[in-house]
Amino acid sequence: MDWFSYLTSGIGVYVALVVFTGGMAWRAWQWSRTPKSPVRLALYPKPKTGAGRLGKLLVDTFAAPQSFSIAPAIMVAAMLFHLAALAAFVGHLRLVHEFTPLVALLGKDGMNTFAAWSGGGAGIIMLIAVLYWLGRRTFGAYKNLSTPEDYLLLVLLLGIVVMGDHLRFVGGLHAETYQAWFASLLAFRPAFPAELADTTTRFALDWHMLFVDAFLIYFPFSKLTHAIGAFATNLVRSGE
Amino acid sequence: MEKQTIDSMVGVLDARMNRQLKQYMDICARCAICKDACHQFVATQDMKYLPARRAELLRQIYRKYFTKAGQFLPALYEAREPDENLIDELYESTYACTGCRRCTYYCPFSIDTGWITAISKGVLIAAGRGNEMLGQLADAALFKADNMEMFGDIILSGFKDVEAELREETGLDIEIPVDKQGADILYVALAGSHSIKPAAIIFDAAGANWTLSKFEAANYGFFFGDPAKAKLIADRFMHEAESLGVKEVVITECGHAYRVAEMFYEAWAKEKMPFKVRHILEVIDEYIKDGRITVDPKAITERVTYHDPCQIGRNGGIYEQPRDIVSAIAPDFVDMTPNRETQWCCGGGGGIVAMEEFNDVRLKSGGKKVEQIRATGATVLACPCENCRLQIDELNKIHDLGLRIVPVMELVAEAMTPKGPDPAAR
Repeated sequence: MDWFSYLTSGIGVYVALVVFTGGMAWRAWQWSRTPKSPVRLALYPKPKTGAGRLGKLLVDTFAAPQSFSIAPAIMVAAMLFHLAALAAFVGHLRLVHEFTPLVALLGKDGMNTFAAWSGGGAGIIMLIAVLYWLGRRTFGAYKNLSTPEDYLLLVLLLGIVVMGDHLRFVGGLHAETYQAWFASLLAFRPAFPAELADTTTRFALDWHMLFVDAFLIYFPFSKLTHAIGAFATNLVRSGE
Repeated sequence: MEKQTIDSMVGVLDARMNRQLKQYMDICARCAICKDACHQFVATQDMKYLPARRAELLRQIYRKYFTKAGQFLPALYEAREPDENLIDELYESTYACTGCRRCTYYCPFSIDTGWITAISKGVLIAAGRGNEMLGQLADAALFKADNMEMFGDIILSGFKDVEAELREETGLDIEIPVDKQGADILYVALAGSHSIKPAAIIFDAAGANWTLSKFEAANYGFFFGDPAKAKLIADRFMHEAESLGVKEVVITECGHAYRVAEMFYEAWAKEKMPFKVRHILEVIDEYIKDGRITVDPKAITERVTYHDPCQIGRNGGIYEQPRDIVSAIAPDFVDMTPNRETQWCCGGGGGIVAMEEFNDVRLKSGGKKVEQIRATGATVLACPCENCRLQIDELNKIHDLGLRIVPVMELVAEAMTPKGPDPAAR
């Protein structure tokens, strides 16, 4: 690995994961040690039982029906983005361990085709959603509400998605190659396999990882802590 | 801005910091989904009335003084030291907010902008920029309550006048009990006889063991944004209830007064009160359903609609009792659309009707309510909140809606048969 690859696709990955995990834990700890609001902040009607509260929390957090009813366009974009990001995350788990039952079912080539279609689809959906948000913030009536933080996050996401899509559509490499690189990371000896190191795809991977690392490092200090905070705030609306 | 003032503002924010506020400050995505939820933003398209912007102004101070990230990279987070420009915008966006929490209902993270503006008001007060009118009204209520030796006789003589009015209007001798030890109910009314007379008729007919509070339900300390003053104002009737040994405090048709007594008071007082708090419409609904009062189901012949005041509806959970009451006396009852938790705020909450400087935005922001009322074709509006009535009354005149706007309990008193005590019900 050259210094740039080592920085982005080697040591940078460890740093990003440590900061992300530690940062999110620190954020959750910070919230938990701050006293709860003494007054009741529920909205009515609210569930009467604990199970009802849990059910409403899950519906409010994962489906947000009220938000859909008032702002369908942005909520469709948000939901598609989050689902595509989840699909992309699940797809990346192949780097840790091959989805053996699926490979047995589809065959190796079939699995790669499936990954190409699903991963490619997720990548395109994410790209469209990020461009929509960027456009909405830049040209919409709400640009005055936006802060530099909003743009930074969207630029990082755009970088991740564009370079990820490049790897998917242009790179021409399949999971086995990346698995070898990821195995080296898990062994704490980061290195690229020859078929990756000697191609221009490596350059795209390094930039993809640069954006991923920066995104993960910034995540706990950004509004993206809604990933855990929304559960707490949505619980308050159906509170005791 | 002087350092001492800034320290004072930051101190208030620190003192009122809690888990929910911290999370609201940290997680807002500024997606602006709230734009279509806020009656003020919908009417004006002015960014300072966008709920996310109202919160963002406080967030700029929070980022500067309460987060390392904001201190390290202030430009990225727009963290800033408060200055006159920030305070001016904060003042306008905060005191204009009616606290209806419709934005909270639609927010994917349930961010409570009403609560955030309540904290912002505290910060403004620390900066010497609390709203003067609301502050004066809160102080006046406290002065009156602190000097009962001066005002007590005037108040009692006022109650005697109400008894005389009732005698004249109904031909009945209805007593308005005050300071009645062992009463079951302490009824807390507003200033003026309009919130006492119908309640007195109803309590009397139901044979209720009640007594009237010497203190008013309205709480300008709450609107002003000073929880200490708000508690002191509510203390008066809460302590009165304790000393009389009542079983319940019943709050008149006043949205914020109900919310203060039912939702906030125990948290402010840090004690569990030995009585329950109910809204007068919960009590009246019970009286009708239990047959303690009899009403003519066809008494109100005009088409009637009902306005859900935000503080008893979305923020208080009282939706069905008023509808059941109105349906029991008005055969042509039509609900507005949307209603209940999605009801539009009328634009008159949060003390805004008392602040002349916000008249323009207040009246503009009533546009949605006007549309809703018109669509029902109703000529009577049952409205259980004083501030909502004041606002809709003005809208009624401006937009020529031809509405009769009445408290729900007044409609009930109109519909009662007989008006006086029903021996069978006793």
